Amino acid sequence: MWRYLGRRLLVSVVTVAGIVVVVFFIMRVLPGDAAAVRAGPYASEEKLEQIRDQFGLNDPVPVQFVNYVRDAVGGDLGTSIRTGGEVTEELLIRLPASLELAFYAVLLAVLAGVPVGVAAAARRDTWTDRVARVVAVLGSSMAFFWLGLILTFVFFFKLGWFPGPVGRLGIVTQPPETVTGFFTVDAALARDWALMWEAFTYLALPAVTVGFVLSAPIIKIVRSSMIETLDSEYVRTARAVGVSRRQVLFRDGFRNALVPVTTAIGIIFGYMLGGNIIVELIFAWPGVGRYAYEALRVNDLEALQGFVIVVGLLYIVLNVVIDFVYSWIDPRIKLGQKVVA
Amino acid sequence: MNPASGKLGAGGANRFVPPRIDGGAKVLPLASRKPLAVVGMVILSVYVLLAAVGPFFVADPVATDPANALLPPSLDHLMGTDNFGRDVFARAVHSARLDLTLGVVIAICAMVIGSAIGVVAGYWGGAIDEALMRLTDIVLAFPGFVLALILVAVLGNSTVNVGIAVTAAFVPYFIRLTRAQALSERELEYVDGAKLAGNRSGRVAFFHVLPNSLQPSLVTATLVAGWAILTVSGLAFLGVGIKPPTAEWGVMVSEGARDIDSGQWWTSLFPGGMIVLAAMAFHFIGDEFGGREA
Amino acid sequence: MNLLEVDGLTVGVERSPTSILANVAFSVPEGRIVGLVGESGSGKTMAALTMMGLLPDGIEVRSGSVRIDGRQLMDPETMTVERRAGDMAMIFQHPQAALNPTMRVGRQIARVFSLQQGCGRDEAMSLAIEMLGRVGIPGAGRVARAYPHQLSGGMCQRVMIAMALACRPRILIADEPTTALDVTIQAQIFDLIRDLVEETGAGVLFITHDLAAVAEMCDTVTVLFGGQVMEEGSRDDIFRRPRNPYTTYLLDSVQKEVDPHVIEAGVDFELVGCRFGHRCRYAWEECGRVPDLVSVGAGHRSACFLHAMEENGAGAP
Repeated sequence: MWRYLGRRLLVSVVTVAGIVVVVFFIMRVLPGDAAAVRAGPYASEEKLEQIRDQFGLNDPVPVQFVNYVRDAVGGDLGTSIRTGGEVTEELLIRLPASLELAFYAVLLAVLAGVPVGVAAAARRDTWTDRVARVVAVLGSSMAFFWLGLILTFVFFFKLGWFPGPVGRLGIVTQPPETVTGFFTVDAALARDWALMWEAFTYLALPAVTVGFVLSAPIIKIVRSSMIETLDSEYVRTARAVGVSRRQVLFRDGFRNALVPVTTAIGIIFGYMLGGNIIVELIFAWPGVGRYAYEALRVNDLEALQGFVIVVGLLYIVLNVVIDFVYSWIDPRIKLGQKVVA
Repeated sequence: MNPASGKLGAGGANRFVPPRIDGGAKVLPLASRKPLAVVGMVILSVYVLLAAVGPFFVADPVATDPANALLPPSLDHLMGTDNFGRDVFARAVHSARLDLTLGVVIAICAMVIGSAIGVVAGYWGGAIDEALMRLTDIVLAFPGFVLALILVAVLGNSTVNVGIAVTAAFVPYFIRLTRAQALSERELEYVDGAKLAGNRSGRVAFFHVLPNSLQPSLVTATLVAGWAILTVSGLAFLGVGIKPPTAEWGVMVSEGARDIDSGQWWTSLFPGGMIVLAAMAFHFIGDEFGGREA
Repeated sequence: MNLLEVDGLTVGVERSPTSILANVAFSVPEGRIVGLVGESGSGKTMAALTMMGLLPDGIEVRSGSVRIDGRQLMDPETMTVERRAGDMAMIFQHPQAALNPTMRVGRQIARVFSLQQGCGRDEAMSLAIEMLGRVGIPGAGRVARAYPHQLSGGMCQRVMIAMALACRPRILIADEPTTALDVTIQAQIFDLIRDLVEETGAGVLFITHDLAAVAEMCDTVTVLFGGQVMEEGSRDDIFRRPRNPYTTYLLDSVQKEVDPHVIEAGVDFELVGCRFGHRCRYAWEECGRVPDLVSVGAGHRSACFLHAMEENGAGAP
């Protein structure tokens, strides 16, 4: 296990280093003068020069790179030229918002997608199956912004069941004391149930928007891997010795279908790590995706680089976790032998 | 299989031809074997028709008419008018041409580039393969949308640049896919046969292995065409790439989103629906022909 | 007294006129091993799956009866076999693939005990370990905690047999039980099956394409081709006095070179008459109909129009 972790760490370091190099040099190609953004439209040339000095923009690119890497290793991802704040700090404030949304969206996708996929596989080529496949196609063809608008229009504007798209809580509501950064969890820890409920109502529409789209790959993969296991010889054996259809479906079939399903969950969660820019914009969700988007609009290099590096790191951590889950589900898989469906 | 009459033993001079069941197993028409694919093809045909001839029949997509702003859908304006008084249907039809072309061109380009690189990696293997795989690992660590967003920012806002950026975001999928396919193809006997026949390895890779590795790529390309439309319009929705007043579905949803608060849903929900339906058409086809990946 | 009696079994593909099994009949007496022999595609496995009620989707039973101790198992309404616990058990060709990869083998056997006898988890497990010992697995307690991928193919087949025995079957169906195993292991598995027949008095339906295995194991043999029974008789009848052209061909194919055309032709399920018709060197117009099984000796029957000709004195082939 330690050997596995060591090797994994080495590969991860190489990948992150690759990400840093690629991103750093792509960012230097971005058009536009970052200093002008910081200084505003009426700044004098002296003022611009002063800002460039302050942010190290006058140094040769290799020097900038070495300085950047030196600071990044110590956890300092630089200063945002747009807000003047520490990038590391700004990302850490926003990350829980994105992760909370991602967590509930993936949870919804799994809770909805797995039963639908199992039902479709168990009743292959019936109407259940066809409806499930159409839902899956609808999900994989859905535009986040369109679904978000429809849900807002219907459930906020017309019916008034859910609050409008103003972020994680009502504008006048005081957020709970930060422990995990997940408002639903922190509110529960503070035993403020009304606040927890409010956090859930604000989460509902964005989480459903994302969750619906994410349920598509879950349905498809659960369906096809369930079909594969239900057609397998060991399921036939189980049926031969008199195991009930139900137990075959849920014990023999499902457990063996879990490996590809775990892969799918890993992939969609990885996909959500960077926040969902469009959904965060529509619902005014204060997450890292929106932060990155705003940084991109004004060439805020440090902020954007920081975002990319943090997302890359999280992605790698996630993959290690998935590896452990695999070896727990399927005794044939040893750590590090990733099985891709 | 033709009875090789010369080789038969005793009694085989006049070969007995046994009677067979009439018809036997009939091949069902495509509509009942793959109903969803047929639905997809029908929707797609309507879109292609709209894109090809629609623009000649509808109103000017950018002509403003403030007197008739924000009219609800009616026979005069099938999808209503927006806050500049432009006909939403006319804009949606013009946009079909732009978005469909972009979706298909992006899918084809990504497939061609990705397959070529994938064959090189899979067929020759070794250091080239290792380097290419690490590179795709890095690229795939990011959601394609974020990648496309950053690339458009680097290249600058224009329709062509959007095409390039979105293509680049999808290329790694095809590299992975073709590489895996080429890895298993190169072990097959026909490859040895082609080599023994004196073909150079470049020729074997591109003229023998590549065509046989293409089938899964074609299916994926259909799915990618749908996703490309979603990505392009998503970027336009954010104001990146294609900008107003161009008639483009994402731009229209973005502009129309402001009207929703005052109850004028048609300016955004119609063009958005056009995007989703177009993507669905591609995905119905891709799904039925074996697209399994998310 | 025949323990198992299968009669007139016809199985086909849904919405298609072709049949995979046509009017198949055979029987298994108590304590005997009956071979069901034929090349791949002959319908051997399909017959077994029909009896187990495990036919894949899209395959339907059209007619036929399956009786155990005279009790009809075929439900005439649904045309499916309704097995009772303990009627039949089956062991499969690929033992490793036939065991659940994510369940410890002891658990898989114990599950059968829980199902069949309603005993608790711990009791079922100790019965499972006992059963593993009975099929000749040393260190049964340790093996019970293993997953299938940690065991050899021969070991897995013993586990499969233990699982089948846990059902306490009257009839054991062994579908190519040694095809995927080494020759040395094959002999051990054969010994095990023979011992079990003596011990339990169960009947065994031994399905194989391997004639050597049939000669070694079986008391009587049914030869199947293209879903039709070609010939049936005692082991000596089939090996020493084969009467059906297909059986002769099958025996020849082991020893000497045979007509390449006969091998290439495969099975054609759309033939109206004798399925061997397009491969048979003797075939003539008559073969456009299906021949009936006729007696050609004591307990020895064959389906071929040649036998009628022989009786009329037209000369033997």
